[in-house]
Amino acid sequence: MTTSPVQADARPDAMVVDDMNPDTGTSQLWGLAAEFSTPAAIMEAAKKVHAAGYRWWDCHTPFPVHGLDFAMGIKYTILPIIVFFGGLTGTCLALLLQVFTNSLELNIWAIVPVVGYQFEVSGKPLISLPAFIPVIFEVTVLFSALTTVGGMLFLNKLPCLYHPVLKSPKLKRATDDRFYLVIESRDPKFVRPRTEELLESLKPDALIELEA
Amino acid sequence: MNSIDTKTIRMGGLAPTGVVLGGLVGLGGIAASIALGADESGWTNFWKSYIFAFMVITGISLGGLFFVMLQHITRAGWSVVVRRLSEGFASNLRWLWIAFVPVIILVWSGEGAVLYPWADPVVVQNDPVLLKKAGYLDPTFWSIRAICFLFIWAALAQFFVGQSIRQDSDGDVSRTRRMQAAAPVGILLYGISQTFAGIDWVMTLEPTWFSTMFGVYWFAVSLTGFFSCLILLACFLQSAGRLKGAISKDHYQDMGKLLFAFGVVFWAYIGYSQFMLIWYANIPIETGWFLPRQMGPWKWVSLLLILGHFALPFVLLVSRWPKRWKNALAAIALWMVLMMIVDVYWLVMPTMSAKAVHDATNLMELVDAVDAGTLSVGWNLTVTNFTALVGMLGLLVAGTCAGLWRCSLVPAADPRLDESLAFENL
Amino acid sequence: MTTLPVDKTTVEHTSGRSPLVLNHTSFGTVTSEICRVNEAKKPPFAWYATMAISSCLALMLGLLIGYLIITGVGVWGNNNPVMWGFPIVNFVFWVGIGHAGTLISAILFLFRQKWRTSINRFAEAMTIFAVICAGTFPGIHIGRVWLAYWLFPIPNQMSMWPQFRSPLLWDVFAVGTYFTVSLVFWYIGMVPDLATLRDRATNKIKAVSYGIFALGWRGSMRHWHRYERAYLLLAALATPLVLSVHSVVSFDFAVAQLPGWHTTIFPPYFVAGAIFSGFAMVLTLAIPARELWGLKNFITLRHMENMAKIILLTGTMVGYAYSMEFFMAWYSGEVYEQFAFINRAFGQYAWAYWIMVSCNVVTPQIFWFKWCRRNIWVLFSASLLVNIGMWFERFVIAVTSLANDFLPSSWGWFEPTWVDILTFLGSFGLFMTLFLLFIRYLPILAIAEIKGVMPEANPHAGHDHDHDHEEVKS
Repeated sequence: MTTSPVQADARPDAMVVDDMNPDTGTSQLWGLAAEFSTPAAIMEAAKKVHAAGYRWWDCHTPFPVHGLDFAMGIKYTILPIIVFFGGLTGTCLALLLQVFTNSLELNIWAIVPVVGYQFEVSGKPLISLPAFIPVIFEVTVLFSALTTVGGMLFLNKLPCLYHPVLKSPKLKRATDDRFYLVIESRDPKFVRPRTEELLESLKPDALIELEA
Repeated sequence: MNSIDTKTIRMGGLAPTGVVLGGLVGLGGIAASIALGADESGWTNFWKSYIFAFMVITGISLGGLFFVMLQHITRAGWSVVVRRLSEGFASNLRWLWIAFVPVIILVWSGEGAVLYPWADPVVVQNDPVLLKKAGYLDPTFWSIRAICFLFIWAALAQFFVGQSIRQDSDGDVSRTRRMQAAAPVGILLYGISQTFAGIDWVMTLEPTWFSTMFGVYWFAVSLTGFFSCLILLACFLQSAGRLKGAISKDHYQDMGKLLFAFGVVFWAYIGYSQFMLIWYANIPIETGWFLPRQMGPWKWVSLLLILGHFALPFVLLVSRWPKRWKNALAAIALWMVLMMIVDVYWLVMPTMSAKAVHDATNLMELVDAVDAGTLSVGWNLTVTNFTALVGMLGLLVAGTCAGLWRCSLVPAADPRLDESLAFENL
Repeated sequence: MTTLPVDKTTVEHTSGRSPLVLNHTSFGTVTSEICRVNEAKKPPFAWYATMAISSCLALMLGLLIGYLIITGVGVWGNNNPVMWGFPIVNFVFWVGIGHAGTLISAILFLFRQKWRTSINRFAEAMTIFAVICAGTFPGIHIGRVWLAYWLFPIPNQMSMWPQFRSPLLWDVFAVGTYFTVSLVFWYIGMVPDLATLRDRATNKIKAVSYGIFALGWRGSMRHWHRYERAYLLLAALATPLVLSVHSVVSFDFAVAQLPGWHTTIFPPYFVAGAIFSGFAMVLTLAIPARELWGLKNFITLRHMENMAKIILLTGTMVGYAYSMEFFMAWYSGEVYEQFAFINRAFGQYAWAYWIMVSCNVVTPQIFWFKWCRRNIWVLFSASLLVNIGMWFERFVIAVTSLANDFLPSSWGWFEPTWVDILTFLGSFGLFMTLFLLFIRYLPILAIAEIKGVMPEANPHAGHDHDHDHEEVKS
C-alpha cells in the first residue's frame, strides 16, 4: 500500500496534484480524509465514493461497521482457502510424523532418513490409526489457526508501524468514536478540487488533509 | 429485511396430498413388511426391520422437539421462520406411540425374544450377567418405561406445538413467555427420556453390552436426521412455491452450519470417542459389540459411515458457499438422511452369537467363520428392511403434513418474527 | 453511576432485546469508561492488597518447585498405588478452568450470543493463565524436568521418539495447541483495543509499547473485512479444539482399564465439567472486578444471569454423567465397576464424593430461581462452591479409583503432604498475579466489540429499522 509521490506523478493519467502542503511547505499530500460521526453517515458516503469509481480509498472505523465492506465493493477475502490448505498441511504432517516415528515399516517412504522407535504398547499395532487421530486433529487445528492469523496479517500488510493515517493526530479518533473516509492522492481519479467537492457533498463533520 | 409473501405461508393442497400419499405408502409399506416379514427363522427379520424403521422416524421427530425447545431456551431470533417446520416434525410425537404399541404388546406378551434376547426368561436364567440385570430388563418394567417416554414426548410436543399454533390466531405474547419458562424443564425431561429410550430400545438389542456414551450417540444420530430433514422440507416447500421471502440464504446457511456441527462433527466426535475408548481398553465385554461391526459386510458399512457420514460431508459443508446454495445443500441433506438411516441400521442389525465368540480360540477363527458363512453377523439385507423403512418414512411424511395442514408455515404472531426475517449471516 | 436502572432494564423482554450496554449512547464514553481502568494513575487499594498476597504465593510456588526439583517427587504424597495425586488433580482442575474463556470467545461467538462481548476478553485472559498453571503440574511431575523436551518429537542421536499411542503425549499436543491458539485468539482480539490505548496514550512510553503490540492497526475497513473472517475462522477452529482438549484429558483416564476411569461418557462429561468450572471461575473473578472498577454498565446483571444459566445447564449435564456412570456400573453387571462406584459414595473417600455431588449437582439447582440468578452474593457463593466441587470431582476420579482397584491387597490410601497443598495454593498465586497484571495493563473488555453490539452501531439506524429500537428502549 505504500507509495511514493514519484510513482503518483509518473502515472500518465494522473492529473496535476497539489502536492505541497501550504502549512508546512515541505510534505506531500497523501490523501484527503472526511470525518463522520455515525455508521449510517459513513455507509452513505462509502456508497457514493464507490459509485464515483475510486479505487485507492478506505474507511477507518473504530469497529467493523456491518455491511460497510460490501458497500465499499471489497471482494470476499481468500483467507478461508489459505486456511484450508494450511490445515491440510497440518493433517498430512501429523500423520506422517506419527507413522514415521512409531513404526519402521514405512521407513523406506521417508525422504529424510527417520529411524522409527518401534515400541509395542498394550498389543496395539505400530500404526494405530485410532490412536493417531487426536494428534492429527490437534496439529491440523494448530496449523489452521496459525495460518489464519499469519494469513490475515500478511493480506493486511501488518504490522505496519508507519502510515499516513497513523501519523495524523486528527485521525486518532478512528479507534475511538469517529469514522473516516480517506481517498488517496495516488488514485487515478484523484483531482484535488473535484475530490474535495465530492467529499464536501457527503456533508462530513470535517475535511482533513493527510501528509505522506 | 425480507418480507413474507403472505399468500404462500400455507401448505394448501400439498398437505392433503402428503397425508394421503404418505399414509398410503406408510400403511402399504407396513402391510408389505408383515406379509414378507416371516422367514424360516421366524419373525425376527420383521421386528428388527420394524424397530429400525421406527427408530429412524423417532429420531427425526425427537430432533424436532429438541430444536424447538432449544430455540425457546435461548430466545433465538434467527430461527423463528423455520420453527414451525420443526414443530411439524415434533408433532409426529403425538401419534408415534401408536407405532410402538405393537412392540410393547410383543414384549409384554412374552414373545419379545424374537427382538430382544433378554425377553426370554430361559436365556436370562442361563446367563449370569443377564441375571444380574434382570430387574431392569424386565418386560413389565421395560414396557412401563417405554410408555413413560412416549407419554413425555407426546405431552411435550402437544404443549409446544399447540401453544405455538394457538399464538398464530390470538397473537398472545404470553404464550412465548410460557414456552420459554417450560423449555428448560422440557429439555430436562427430554434428556432423560431420549437417553433411556435409546438404551432400552436399541442398546439392549445386545443385552450384555453397555456404553455410558450411548444416549449421547443416539442424540447425535437423531439430530443428524432432523437437521437434514428440516433442510429438505424447507427446500421442498420453497420449490413448491411456499414460504416465499421467508427463508433466505442466511437461514439455509445456519441450518447447514447446524447440520455440519451436530450431524457431521459432533457425531464423529461421539462415535470416535466411543469406539476409541473401547478399542484402546480392549475389554472383551465391551469389544463384543464392535466385533460383528468389523466383520463381513458390516466392515464396509462401518467404513461407509466414517467416509460418508463424516469425511465427505465435512469437506462438502465446511465452506460457506454450499450452505448458501439451496440445491447443493438439499443434495447434501438428502445424503445425510441416507447416512443417518445407514447409521441406525448399523446400530440395530448386527448380531453375533455370544457362544461362538466364547468358543473361539482367537480372532482369526471368527473372521474365517464369518467369511466362510458359517457364522452369522446379522447381515440380512431383506426386502422387509426396505418396505418397513419406506412405510415408516411414509408415515413421517403423512404425520408432518397433517401437523402443518391447518396452520401457517411460519409462527406468524411470534414476537421475534421480524428479527428472524431481518437476519443476516456474517 | 446508578445501580437501580441496571436491575430494571436487564430483564429480557419477550418482544425485543434488552440493551447489552447500559447508560451509554455514544461510542466515545464507552471508550473512556473502559480505558479508565488502564489509564487511572493508581488502581484501587484492593488491587495492591491482592497483588501483595498473590505475588507472595507465586513466589512460594517457585520455591516449592525448586525444592521439588532438588529433592525429588517423593516430597509429594504420591505413592503406590496412587501414583497420580495432586499433580493430576490440579492439572485437570486448571485446564478445566481454562475452558470457559475459549468457550465464551468461540462457541458463544458462533452462536451469535452478543452478550459475550462484555466478558470474553478477561475470560480469555483467564484461560491463558489457567493453562499456564495447568501446564506447570505435569511439567514438574515428570521428575527430571530438564528432560522435558523429550515430550516433543525432536530428532536426536538416540533415535528415540515419543510414543504417539500414549494419551499423555496427546495431552502435550492438545494442551500445547490449546495454549497457542488461545493466545493468538486473545491477542488478535485485543489488537484493535491496543490501538485505542495507543491513540489515547498520554506519554511516549505507553504510546510506543501499546503501539508495537497494536501492529499499526488503523481501523481500515479493508483490514476489518479480513480481520472479521479471521476471527470467525479462529472461532470455528477453537470450538472443536476446546472440546478436544478436555476430551484428550479425559482419555488419560478413560483408555485405562481401571474401573471408574474406563467409561465412554468421559469425553463429553469432562467437557461439560470444564465449561461448568470455567464459568464459575469467570463469575468468581467478574463479580469483584465489576464492583472495583465500576464496570456495571458493561457486565450487567443480565450477563450474570446468563452465566448462571450456563452453570445450571452444565451442572445438570455433569449430574447426568454422574448418574449415567452409576447406572451403567450397575447395569454392566461387572463386580469391579459396581464396587468402584459404591466405594466412591460410601468408601474411605466418601466425604470427597459428597462434597463433589453437593457442590456440583445440588448447588447449581438454585439457579432455577430467578432471584438467585440475580443476587450477587448468591452468585458469588455458588461460584466458589462450584470451584471447590470441581476440584473434588477430579480428586474423586483420580484418587478413589487408584486407591481401591481390583485386588484388596494392592489397595492404598493417599494423603497430600504440605508440599502438595502449598504448591496447589501457590498456583492460585501465579494465576492471580498474572490476572491482576492483565487488568492493570491490558484492555480488560473488548472495546471494539462492545461498540459493535450497541444499537447505535447499526448502519441502518434511523432508516428502516427504527421501530425495533423503540421497542428495545421502552
